[in-house]
Amino acid sequence: MRMSLRWKIVGGYGLLLMLIAVLGWVTLTMFGSLRSVQRDVFDEAIPQLEAVNEIVRSYTAQSAAVRGFLISSNAELLQQYSSEVATARTWQAEAKRLLSSRRDRRLLQDLVATGQSFQRLINEEVIARARKGKRTQAFRILGQDGAPLISEIEVLGNLLQTVQKDKVAAGESELQQNSSDALVTLLLVTIGALLIGVLLAVLLPGRLVANISRLVEATRAIGRGDFDQRVEIHSGDEVEELAERLDEMQDGLKRLRTLAYQERELEIAASIQQNLLQRSLPDAPGAKVWPLQRQANLVGGDWYDVGFSGKTLTVVIGDASGKGVGAALMATVALTVLRAERSLGTGPKRVIEKANQALKEATAQDSFTTLVYLTIDVYSGEVRWINMGHPSPFLLQCDGDDGQTGRGYYLEGPRNRALGWFDDPGLAETVIQLRPGDRLVLFTDGFLEAKAPSSEAFGEHRLAQGLSRLSRVGSSELGEQLVQEVELFAAGKLDDDLTMLVTEFYGSEASPDGRTGVAEASTEV
Amino acid sequence: MSQQKIEIDIEDATGYHILRAVGDFDVYTVGTLRDSIGTMIEEGKTVVVVDLDEVPFMDSSGLGALMGGVRRLREAGGDLAIACTSEPHLKLFDITGFGEGVSIAPTVEEAAKGLRDGAGSR
Repeated sequence: MRMSLRWKIVGGYGLLLMLIAVLGWVTLTMFGSLRSVQRDVFDEAIPQLEAVNEIVRSYTAQSAAVRGFLISSNAELLQQYSSEVATARTWQAEAKRLLSSRRDRRLLQDLVATGQSFQRLINEEVIARARKGKRTQAFRILGQDGAPLISEIEVLGNLLQTVQKDKVAAGESELQQNSSDALVTLLLVTIGALLIGVLLAVLLPGRLVANISRLVEATRAIGRGDFDQRVEIHSGDEVEELAERLDEMQDGLKRLRTLAYQERELEIAASIQQNLLQRSLPDAPGAKVWPLQRQANLVGGDWYDVGFSGKTLTVVIGDASGKGVGAALMATVALTVLRAERSLGTGPKRVIEKANQALKEATAQDSFTTLVYLTIDVYSGEVRWINMGHPSPFLLQCDGDDGQTGRGYYLEGPRNRALGWFDDPGLAETVIQLRPGDRLVLFTDGFLEAKAPSSEAFGEHRLAQGLSRLSRVGSSELGEQLVQEVELFAAGKLDDDLTMLVTEFYGSEASPDGRTGVAEASTEV
Repeated sequence: MSQQKIEIDIEDATGYHILRAVGDFDVYTVGTLRDSIGTMIEEGKTVVVVDLDEVPFMDSSGLGALMGGVRRLREAGGDLAIACTSEPHLKLFDITGFGEGVSIAPTVEEAAKGLRDGAGSR
C-alpha cells in the first residue's frame, strides 16, 4: 500500500501525541489513585480513629471524674462527668456518621450500649448512693460493676481502632504500590515516547535521505548517458513513485537517443544524397545548366543528373513518388543505374529500360518514379527527350529584338508511363530545335502540387505564368524566384521537394554544321 | 492550413464496393487510404470503385497509394476502378500513364463497368 510522506509525518506525530495522551492518562490515574487512598485514610480512617479514641477517652474520663467525686465530694467533678457524657454522645454521633461497614457499626452499637449501661450504673447506682451518703457502697459498685464496663468499652474501642489502624496501614501500602506502579508505567511510556521520537527524528529522515541519495546517484549516472539505472525503492511514498518515474524517464531518454541516432543516420543519408546530387556540373560549350533544389525533408525523392560527352549534354530530372527515406532510396536506385549505364555509353532508351527494371525490382507497392531524359546537341541545338510520366518541360524563349520580351510554353509530346510499375512503359522520344537564348526548364511535380491553404494546387497554369513573367530574370535567379512565388502561394508550407533545372542554350560558333534552327517539335516513337 | 484529415466510407453496391473519400490525398493521408484498402482486402472486399468526387487535391503520394491499391486488389483477385471528374486528377493519371491500365470514368456506375471481368466474387 502506498502512503504519502505527508501521512507518514502526520502518523508519526499522531503517535507521539497519542503517547503524550497516554502519559497524561497515566498521571491522572495515579493522582486519582492517590486521591482515593487519601480519601480512605485522611477523610475516613483517621477521623474514625479520632472519634473512637475520644469515645473511649470520654468514658475513662467519666469513670475518673466519678471516682474523684466519691473521694472528694467535689461537685465540679460531677459537672466534669456530665460534660464528658455530652462529649461521649457527640463523638458517638460523629462515629456513627463516619463508620460505614456493618462490623464497625455493630462494634459501635455495642460500645454505645456498654457506655449507656455504664452511665446508667453511674447515675442510678453510684451517684444516687453517694448522695445518700453510702459512699463505700458506691465505691464498691463502681469498682465491681463500673470497672468491667470501662474495660469492655476499652476492648471495643481497641477493636474499632484496630480496624481503622489496619485501614490506614492498608492505605499506606496501597499508596506505596500505586506509586510504584505509576512510576513504572510513567517510565515505560516515557521510554516508549522517547524511542518513537528517536525513530521519527532519526530513522525516518535517515531512510528518506538514503533513498534520495540513491536517486541523486542514479540521476548523475543518467546525466553521464547511462540510461540503465534501476533504483529499487519500496518506501511506499512519493520517493518510490519518483524512482518509478525515473525508470520511465530513462525509457523515454532511450527512445530519444534512438531517435537521435536515427536522425544522425538520416543526416548521413541526406549528406550522401546531397553528394550524389550536387556534384559539380560538367562544363559544356554552348549550353549551361542551373540546378535548384528545395527539399521538404532531410532526404527526398527528387533527383537530377547532368553529363556531357562529345557534343551531347545530357540533362535528366527524376522524381520518386512519396516522401522521406523510401523515396530517397528509390531516387538513389534510379540515379545509380542511370550513371552506371551512361558511363558505359548506353543510349537513353536502354538506360531507361534498365532503370525501369531496377526500380520494378526495388519499388514498394505504391511507389513509382517519373523522369525526363533529355539530350542537347550543344552545337546544333537539337534536343531529344523521353518523358516517363513526368510533367512536360517548359520552353522559355526571348522573342524581342531587345532580348527582354519573352514567351514560354509547355513542350507537349508523347508521354510514356512512369517507371517501376509497368513492364513496358513505352519509350517515345520527342525532338525539337533550340535557338540561341532559349531556355529549357525541367521541374518536378512539387511545383505543380504545391498546395494553398484552400487545397488548391499551384498547377501548370500558374507555373507557366510565373516562368513567362520571370523570362527577363537570369537563369541563375529564375528557379529561386519561382520557388519564392510557390512558397507564397503555399503560405510557406511545402510538403514536397521542389527541383528545377534551367538549361540555357547559347549556340556555338564552333558547331560542326552551324545549325541554330528554329524550335520545332517532332516525335520519334 | 492545409487539410490533413480524410474521411473514408465504404458502401456496398451490387457486385462491388464503393470507397468514398472526403479530403485530400496527400502525404499526410495516404496511410489512411492504404489502411482502408488493406482492411477491405482482409474482409474479402476486393472489387472496389474509389470515388474521388470529394477529393479536391491529390499529389503523387496519393496517386502512389491509389495505384498501390490497384496492385494489391489485383493480387487478391479483385480490381479497382476510379470515379473521377477532376481535371487535375485526370491530368495526373494521364501524365504518369496510370490512366491506361485502370478504369476511370466520371461516375461510380460507369467506372464499375470497366472493372476486370471475373474480378473478385461478384
